[in-house]
Amino acid sequence: MKKFTTLCLATLLSVNLFADDSAKKILTVYTYDSFVSDWGPGPKIKQAFEKDCQCTLNLIAEEDGVSILNRLKIEGKKVKADVILGLDHALMKDAKATGLIADHSQDLSSIKPSLNWQDSAFVPYDFGYFAFIYDSSKITTPATSLKQLIASDASIIYQDPRTSTPGQGLMFWINAVFKGDTNQAWRELAQHTVTVTKGWYEGYSMFLKGGSDYVLSYTTSPAYHMIVESESKYKAAAFSEGHIVQVEVAAALNTSPHPELAQSFLRFLLSDAAQTILPVTNWMLPVTNNTTLPEQFSKLISPKTLEIDIEELSNQRKQWIKDWRTNAVK
Amino acid sequence: MFLKFSNISGLICIFCISVVTLMAFYGLIAFNQQGADLALLQDSYFHSILLFSIKQALLSAILSTVFAWPIARALYYCPKLYFKKSFLSLSLLCFVLPTLVLITGFVSLLGRSGIISPFLGEDWNLYGMQGILLAHVYMNLPFAVRAFHNQLQNIPDTSWILARQMKLNRWQKLCVIEWPALRSTISLVFGFITILCFNSFAVVLSLGGGPQSTTLEVAIYQALKYDFNIAEALTLAWTQFFIAGVFFVLLYRSNSVAWLAKDSNKKNSLPQISNTNKAFFTLLYSGAFCFMLLPLLALVPGLIATSYSLKLLANVFEALIMTLVLGSLVASIAMLIAYCIMLPIRSSLEFKKPHIKNTLQWFANHTLIAPAMVLSVGLYILFLPIMDLDALGMIFVVVLNVLMVLPFAIQQIRSRLIQFDHDYLVLSKSLKLSFWKNLSIEWPYIKPAILSTFSLVLLIAMGDVAIFSIFGNDNLKTLPWLIYQYAGSYRINEASFASAVLLGIYFIVLIKIERAQSHA
Repeated sequence: MKKFTTLCLATLLSVNLFADDSAKKILTVYTYDSFVSDWGPGPKIKQAFEKDCQCTLNLIAEEDGVSILNRLKIEGKKVKADVILGLDHALMKDAKATGLIADHSQDLSSIKPSLNWQDSAFVPYDFGYFAFIYDSSKITTPATSLKQLIASDASIIYQDPRTSTPGQGLMFWINAVFKGDTNQAWRELAQHTVTVTKGWYEGYSMFLKGGSDYVLSYTTSPAYHMIVESESKYKAAAFSEGHIVQVEVAAALNTSPHPELAQSFLRFLLSDAAQTILPVTNWMLPVTNNTTLPEQFSKLISPKTLEIDIEELSNQRKQWIKDWRTNAVK
Repeated sequence: MFLKFSNISGLICIFCISVVTLMAFYGLIAFNQQGADLALLQDSYFHSILLFSIKQALLSAILSTVFAWPIARALYYCPKLYFKKSFLSLSLLCFVLPTLVLITGFVSLLGRSGIISPFLGEDWNLYGMQGILLAHVYMNLPFAVRAFHNQLQNIPDTSWILARQMKLNRWQKLCVIEWPALRSTISLVFGFITILCFNSFAVVLSLGGGPQSTTLEVAIYQALKYDFNIAEALTLAWTQFFIAGVFFVLLYRSNSVAWLAKDSNKKNSLPQISNTNKAFFTLLYSGAFCFMLLPLLALVPGLIATSYSLKLLANVFEALIMTLVLGSLVASIAMLIAYCIMLPIRSSLEFKKPHIKNTLQWFANHTLIAPAMVLSVGLYILFLPIMDLDALGMIFVVVLNVLMVLPFAIQQIRSRLIQFDHDYLVLSKSLKLSFWKNLSIEWPYIKPAILSTFSLVLLIAMGDVAIFSIFGNDNLKTLPWLIYQYAGSYRINEASFASAVLLGIYFIVLIKIERAQSHA
């Protein structure tokens, strides 16, 4: 009988030990929907990170970057995530206002100097330039500046600045280039706008079906067509005023029970492993120097950066949207 | 007598759905302890969207009813038209078609590189008021045609015989026989379409073409979604609730529109019509047929261009099963609730209490006019901090979809149930039948209406994306959501393949509806 009890205890103990061992830490990350889709970066990032972290990476998808921020505002201190991934740099100020964002402890020396990254809380993981994409088999002499494009009569599809980050990017872009004449520029643009779509994809898919001459997207969009479809007719128009940069960022939350694990995930995002996955799944540019990219990326334009002041943008955004909605009408 | 067990179950149902709406509004109001932003009422932007919402809704309703009328007459006066059955099924499809699929069709037909666009002149642009009206008319005109046609079918043969004996001319027949038969239906259909278009969201968002075309529902979405400006969203929501509510009260006091009812008794004494008239009707009928078919046929080229892989087929199949399971669950619950809700409404009719009847009906149908975006976001805000929505969100997908389809379910079974009471209530009362005994007698009578209504709400629920986008679970994707995801990541052809599969399922269910009705 004694033997039996010992056996039982031993079994129980070993089960317990085993259970302890398998109860890996779970790192919860809020991100956006296209990040976690089968063909997005999510599955590969998860696999690569879990290989070394002794943990489970739990990716929770919201509709887009703005929805992640809204969720933080709703949940407050009860937030489930350890890390948020997928805001863009224009949303950083709002995100910090929630009081939930922790400082990062990352070495940022590997980040491209051109990004001039100073932020103490957010870590950039990829970036892109907004650009107008055209079909070079139809348009042989594309516009060379934003002013030229707006003054032309080429048909254009862009996204709504109230609901989409590229649309908001265009709003910043036009305000930076036209300054006091922005309202006039919106009116001119409206004359040859085919439609303003809710999100990026509605606009882009309409363009692919021949819906317009130009569509607002990123300089990296042609890389997708070259790599996945072996199609090189889609090109980004380089504008002489320079292009607006969109930087996608991640941050740890100060409510996280595993701050170290959260920091190690941020470090992983800057590693070679993650930086080589992102360009060919998220179709953006790597933020670190010396990342090896498929050769098709060398065919993309490398535009001049149009510097903008994020602080000013956040303050002006509301007024600029009002200007847009009263002037961008036919 | 009014407060008997069966009525109480209905009252509880009405109470529950009202509580869900209240919770949603409470969620929004309690979040930052502030009410509606009344300063917005003075803003010129607010005035312009209000005017635009009303203008496009009224125009859509006018166009749909005005064009539907002659088409319904064509169907009525020429009973031997080719493919008449398919035409009527197609009409139903147009009404329930997921907007996602419809818009894809319209864009490939009438967009800048559309098949028809070259014939429309240089200045043609699908986006803007014209696009919104086209899509709204596409969805609602066939609905109106069915309703009017049904109503004309109800003109008794004796009226026509009498008209012949009295030698009424065409104009007199129109005024004395047709118009009285249609009058109440026309105002109801008009009101119903106005409410649907007033609350229109996906169509306006995709075909609006810019900030000049914004409806209240779209503005609510933008206020909640991007600025998280709850105060502004509340003002817009109350405005929409109030205006749509007024429409509702004005137009929903009378009977429901029996547009799903079966194509009943054979007509033997239809007035003869001249050959010119016949030719005109046939032309009109063919035109309407083309209008309804073309956007669907325009999806075909995308199908051919798709590169099929096993992965794609597996994804689509899995999502399809999920859509059917979810849709059936929603439709079953909605039918059960709709039946229960009708119990006290029928009693109030029996006891001749019109005020109780109207109040109950208003509460039972209020989700038709409540802004869907407010319901979903309100519940999301309320429940996100207290429960694990990532795991349990599907419950809300079901609950909210039930709420959305409920008004349609009630509307469709209502007239049949009232008809039953009208014919058999006195008899069953005098026999003192129990509730269950009564139900077993009632069942064969209402079965066709229940089955076809079930399929209708199933189709409406299957097309949902808006609610799924907030509460859905990425591991339990529905087909419309998969289409959204494909289209959102450069996979346009895969999206058209998935759309075609969805459309195919809709066709199959529709054929079932029509079968169920012809067997009735």
